[in-house]
Amino acid sequence: MMVEPSLVLFYVASAITLGGALGVVMTRNIVYASFALLAAMMGVAGVFLLVFAEFLALVQILIYGGAVVIVLLFALMLTRLEDFQNLTDHRQWPIAAVISIGLFALLVTAIVTTSVRTTEPQSIDFETLGEILFTQWAIPFEVASLVLLVALIGSIVLVRTDGDRD
Amino acid sequence: MSLTDSLGTNWAWVIPALCASAFFIIFPIRRLVPRIGAAVSILAILLGFALFWFVLVGLLSDGPGAYSINWLTVGDTTLKWGIVVDRLSVTMLGLVTFVALLVQVYSLAYLTHHGERDPGFGRYFAFHSLFAAAMLTLVLADNLLFLYIAWELVGLGSYLLIGFWHERRSAAEAAKKAFVTTRIGDVGLFIGIIMLFKATGTFDISTIIHVASQPDGINQATLNISVFLIFLGAMGKSAQFPFHVWLPDAMEGPTPVSALIHAATMVAAGVYLVARLLPLYELAPTVLLIVASVGLFTFIFAGTLALVMNDIKRVLAYSTISHLGLMMLALGAGGLGAAIFHLVAHGVSKALLFLGAGSVMHSMNDETDMWKMGGLRRRLPITGWTFVIGAASLAGIIPLAGFFSKDEILLHVLDHLNPVFIVLALLGVVLSALYMARIVLVVFFGPPKIENESAHESPLVMTLPLILLAFFAATVGFLAFNYTNDYPGFGGFLEGHGEFKLTIWLTVASLALAVGGVTLGWMTYRGGTISHRRLAERYAWIHKLVINKYYLDDAIQWTIDKLVLTFGRFVGVFDRVVINDTGADGSAYTVWLSAMKVRLVQTGRFYNYGMLMAGGVVGLALVWWIVQT
Amino acid sequence: MIELAHLQILSAGLFAIGTYGVLARRSAVLILMSIELMLNAVNINLIGYAAFVDFDEATRSFGQVLVIFVITIAAAELALAIAIILRLYRNRSTVNVDEIDLMKW
Repeated sequence: MMVEPSLVLFYVASAITLGGALGVVMTRNIVYASFALLAAMMGVAGVFLLVFAEFLALVQILIYGGAVVIVLLFALMLTRLEDFQNLTDHRQWPIAAVISIGLFALLVTAIVTTSVRTTEPQSIDFETLGEILFTQWAIPFEVASLVLLVALIGSIVLVRTDGDRD
Repeated sequence: MSLTDSLGTNWAWVIPALCASAFFIIFPIRRLVPRIGAAVSILAILLGFALFWFVLVGLLSDGPGAYSINWLTVGDTTLKWGIVVDRLSVTMLGLVTFVALLVQVYSLAYLTHHGERDPGFGRYFAFHSLFAAAMLTLVLADNLLFLYIAWELVGLGSYLLIGFWHERRSAAEAAKKAFVTTRIGDVGLFIGIIMLFKATGTFDISTIIHVASQPDGINQATLNISVFLIFLGAMGKSAQFPFHVWLPDAMEGPTPVSALIHAATMVAAGVYLVARLLPLYELAPTVLLIVASVGLFTFIFAGTLALVMNDIKRVLAYSTISHLGLMMLALGAGGLGAAIFHLVAHGVSKALLFLGAGSVMHSMNDETDMWKMGGLRRRLPITGWTFVIGAASLAGIIPLAGFFSKDEILLHVLDHLNPVFIVLALLGVVLSALYMARIVLVVFFGPPKIENESAHESPLVMTLPLILLAFFAATVGFLAFNYTNDYPGFGGFLEGHGEFKLTIWLTVASLALAVGGVTLGWMTYRGGTISHRRLAERYAWIHKLVINKYYLDDAIQWTIDKLVLTFGRFVGVFDRVVINDTGADGSAYTVWLSAMKVRLVQTGRFYNYGMLMAGGVVGLALVWWIVQT
Repeated sequence: MIELAHLQILSAGLFAIGTYGVLARRSAVLILMSIELMLNAVNINLIGYAAFVDFDEATRSFGQVLVIFVITIAAAELALAIAIILRLYRNRSTVNVDEIDLMKW
C-alpha cells in the first residue's frame, strides 16, 4: 500500500507539535520550555501548510514564533527565578493528569461519534480571504485592532510604577 | 319598704366587689399609711356584712336569684361571670362576712406587740381583703369555672397569709406546703370540672345538675370519675386524710388568720363545694360512700392526733380536721342541711377557740405550749369563759350550737348509712369531747404555772369578738327547731324540704358519750385519777406513733426526696445533656464542624479552582454518557 | 490521505496537554505558555473545518477568518497577562502560583 506523503508529513508535523507541547508541560528548565513552545508553534504552522492554509501558516510563524515567544522570554527574564533550571510541579499534578486525560477521552469520543460531510482538503484563495476580511468581516476586524490598541495601552499602564507619570 | 325593694339579691355581687376594691386600694399604700389600710379593709367587710342582711331579706321575700354577665364566647360556649343567690350561698355569705369582720377587728390588737405595730400591718389587711373577696366570690359563683378561679385565689390568699411572717423559715415552708398539697387536689378538681364540661357542654352548675338528672344525661362512669376528682379538690382544701398534712403546719401564720381561714372559711370551701354539687353526688352512690368513709376516717384519725398534741394551736388544728371529716361524713349520708348547719356552728365555735387561743398567746408572749399554762381563767376571765363555751359547743354539750348540729349529723348517718358508720361516729364523739376537755382543763383550770405571772387579759378589741362569737356559739343551735310552718328547721331550710326530727335514744346516747368524754378528761387532767403520763409510758409505742403524726409527714418527705427530687435531677440532666448539649449546642457544633471542613475548598489557588472546573466538565460528560447508555 | 479526524484528534491531544500544563505547572509564565498551546489547538480545529468540511466558499472562509481573530486576541491577551505577571512579581517577588492565595479561607 502506498503511504501518502502528505500523511507522513502530517505525522511528522504532529509529532513535532505534540513533542513540543509535552516539553512545555514537563520540562524542569524554564528556558527549555519556551523553546519547546517555539517548536510546537512551528509544528502547528506545518500542519496549516499541509491543509493548504498558507497565509495562516505565515501568520502563525510570524506572530507566535516572532512575537509571542520573544515576549515570553522577556517575561522570564524580568521575573527572575533562582532555580529556573529546576522547576517542580506542585503536589496535585496527578489529579491534573487524570483530568486532562479525561478531557482528551471526552473530546475523542465526541470526534469519533460525530459524522460530518468532508471533502478533499481545499484551500481558500488569498484574494478571497482578503476580500472577505475587509467586507463581510470588516467590523470584527476593526474591533480586533481596537482590542490590540487597548491591550497595548493597558499593558503599559499596568506595568508603570507609581513614580513615573508623564 | 322601698329601700328593701331596690336592695335585694341582685346586690349580692357588691359584697365581694367591696372587698376586692379594698384590696386594690390598700395594697399600693400598705407601707405608707397602714392604719388607713386597716380601716379601709374593716370598713369594706363591715359594709359587706350589712349588705348581707339586705340580701337575706331579699332572699326571704323574693326567693332565690341568679344573675350573670357574658364574658367570653369561644365557639359554641359562652363563659360567664355569674352569681347564684340561694339559701346555701346566703348562709355562707353570712358566716364569712361575720367571722371575717370579727377577725379583722381582733387583728388590730393582735398585730400590736407592746404598743408597736407589726411592720406588715398594711400588707396583712390587704391580704385579708383579697381573701375575703375570693371566698365570697367562691360561695356566690354559679358556674364551675368561676368557682375554680375563686378557689385558686382563696388558695393564694391562704398562702400569703400563712407565710405572712415570711422571714421565718418555718412559716415560708408551711405556706409552700399548704399551697402544694392543696394544688394536688386542685388538679383533680380541674380535671373533674373539664370532664363535666365535656359531658354537658356547660360550666353552669344548675344546668349540669339538670342534665345529669335526666335518665341518659351523663355516662355513669364519667359522672363517677368526675365527681370523685372534684372531691379530691375538696379533700385538699378541707384537709381530709391524706391531704390534711398542711393544716397543722399552717398554724405558723398569725392566729386570727387561723381563725378565719382554717376554721371557718377556706377549709369550709371544700364542704361547700360538695354541698353545692350534692345532687350530682347522689347520682353517684359509690363516690358518695367514699366521701362518707373518708370523712369518718378523718374524723377519728384527727381526733386521736388532737389528743396528744402539746401545742394549743395544733390541738385546735387537728380538731378542725376532725370536724371537717364529720361534715364530709354528713354529706356522705346525704345530709346537706346537717352538714352546713355544723359548718356554721363549727365555724363560729372554732373561730372563737382560735381567737381565744390567740388571746392567751398574746398575753403570754406568743407561748404555745399548753403545759406551760394553767389556771388562766382567773387571770384572763373573758377569754377563759368564752373558750369554755366554744369548747363545750364542739364537744357536743347541750344547749350549745355544736350539740344540735352534731345531733342532726348523727341522725342522717343512722338513717342512711351502714351501722358501722354510726358506731364509729359515736366513738369519734367521745374523742372530740375528750380532747376538748383536755385543753380546757390544762390551760384554764388547775394550778397556775410560774410562767403565767405576767399574763393579763386582752384589750377590748380582742375580747369583744370573743364575746360575740360566744353568744352565737350558744344560740345558733336554736335555729335547728321548726318554729313556724314556713320554717322547717335550719336543715330543712337549706334543703327546701323536711323538718326537724328527733330520735330520742340517739340524742341521749350522744350527749351521754360527750359528757362521758368530758368526765374522762376531768379524771385524767384535773382529778388525777387517771395519769396520762403513766398511760403514755405503758403504751409507749402507740404514743410515739401518734405523736409523730403516724409518720405521715416523714413518709411524704421521703417520697419527695426519693422520687420527686430524683426525677427532678433526671430531668435536669436530660435537659442539659440531651436537649442543650446534643440538640442545641450539638447542631450548632455540627454546622461549625462541617463549615470548617468545607471551607478548605477555598484554597485560594487558582489551579485548584481550575481543576474543579475541568473536572466538573469531564465528570458531567461521564454522567451524561452513562445515562445515555 | 489526511482526514478531518486526524486534525481533530491532534487538536484534542494538544488541548489536553495544554490543560495539564495550566493545571499542573507552578510558574505563571509556564501557565501562560500552556494557554497558548490551548489556543493553538483551537486554531488547528478551526482550520480543519475550513479545509475539509463541505460548505460553500463564504462559510469555509469563516474558519480561516476566525483563526486570524483568535491569533489576534491571543496576542493581546498575552501582552496583558505578562503585564499582570510583572506587576505581581513586583509586589510579591514571586510568580509561583502556590504562593498567591490571598483568597484563601
